[in-house]
Amino acid sequence: MQKGMASIMNCKAAIAYMHDYLDRELPYEQTIELQRHLASCSECRMRLEALEKTDALMRSFPSEQAPPDLANRILKSLPRTRNPRSWTTWVRRHPAVSAAALFLVVMVSSFVTMWNQSQQLTVRGSDLDHVVIQGRTVIVPAGQKVDGDLTIENGVAQVMGDVQGNLTIIDGNVTLASTAHIAGKVKTIDRAVDWAWYKVTSWFDTLAYGS
Amino acid sequence: MKPIETRLARLARKGDQRAFAEIVELYKDKLYHLAYRMMNNRQEAEDVVQESFLRVFKNLDRYDENQKFSTWIYRIATNLCIDRLRKRRPVYSLDAETDHEGLDGYSMLPSDDRTPESELLLSETQKLIRDAVETLPVKYKSIMILRYLQDLSLQEISEVLDLPVTTVKTRVHRGREYMRKKLESKL
Repeated sequence: MQKGMASIMNCKAAIAYMHDYLDRELPYEQTIELQRHLASCSECRMRLEALEKTDALMRSFPSEQAPPDLANRILKSLPRTRNPRSWTTWVRRHPAVSAAALFLVVMVSSFVTMWNQSQQLTVRGSDLDHVVIQGRTVIVPAGQKVDGDLTIENGVAQVMGDVQGNLTIIDGNVTLASTAHIAGKVKTIDRAVDWAWYKVTSWFDTLAYGS
Repeated sequence: MKPIETRLARLARKGDQRAFAEIVELYKDKLYHLAYRMMNNRQEAEDVVQESFLRVFKNLDRYDENQKFSTWIYRIATNLCIDRLRKRRPVYSLDAETDHEGLDGYSMLPSDDRTPESELLLSETQKLIRDAVETLPVKYKSIMILRYLQDLSLQEISEVLDLPVTTVKTRVHRGREYMRKKLESKL
């Protein structure tokens, strides 16, 4: 509303002012305008009086009290604990991170298991009768003949005799004597990357086809 | 220093049962009064209050401490009332179409057999107010109850109902005019 409207203020504008006045939001100048209008308009005076009484009656309406046992019933109806919610809420809010974290846990734990297993000397082959194991050393004595492949994990191979197949050494090394004869290939896997790659591929094979 | 409710909410969030009991004690009557006037039915009012506190309990983690606790709890309770009123509306319009003479939507409200003492003590004018509030459309009803029976400011109501202050103001003005006409004979 602009200034200077006071003299020609109509009842409609006055009623809008009345409501702002009752909300205690009518600025001083407009309040003066409203007063001037009321002085000359009995209808609006009655209107404001009625609105003021309505307000007062509404405010004095008796408040209701909750039944005396309601508080107890509320407290009894609550879940026992709200603690589990904290992490389930987090999981629900971050599904991708949660899935990634779970995957990581499974991966790490399976790697740890495999690492622990791989600390032990493992010898695989179709014919181990002609092999001598001393501590971490696997010996193929001179004059002995091993049929098929020989795989040694976490150990040292000392070959003085014959190996008819491939010789594979994982995380170890091999010494070939002059008398040694290996029909297949000699392969040494001792780098961490190779090892990890080998384990990951075999792990995925396990996932895909079962062990 | 945070207001007492905010501190209680923080304790309750950490699992302090007594702090939550204190919150219930502080707000049960206010919420009950709000729900009773919204629903005009004691049983439904009790259900709303119980459900409100359950939601408060479950969602304490989401309470933003920069907001007044009262605003948050009033929002939960008011929304529950509004939802229930919206759900029961179609039932009454269906009832209204059947041939129950003299049974309008109002008298078809779920029966409320317990007449509380507080109702017996109401003056004629107060009964007129109660009935007038009951006949207000939901969007005016919630605002008038929050403004007059809970004494919330226009700003607070706007936060509780997530409405612009100007909308709240307009509805208070219309609601006030509606009440004035209903109370005309008594003024």
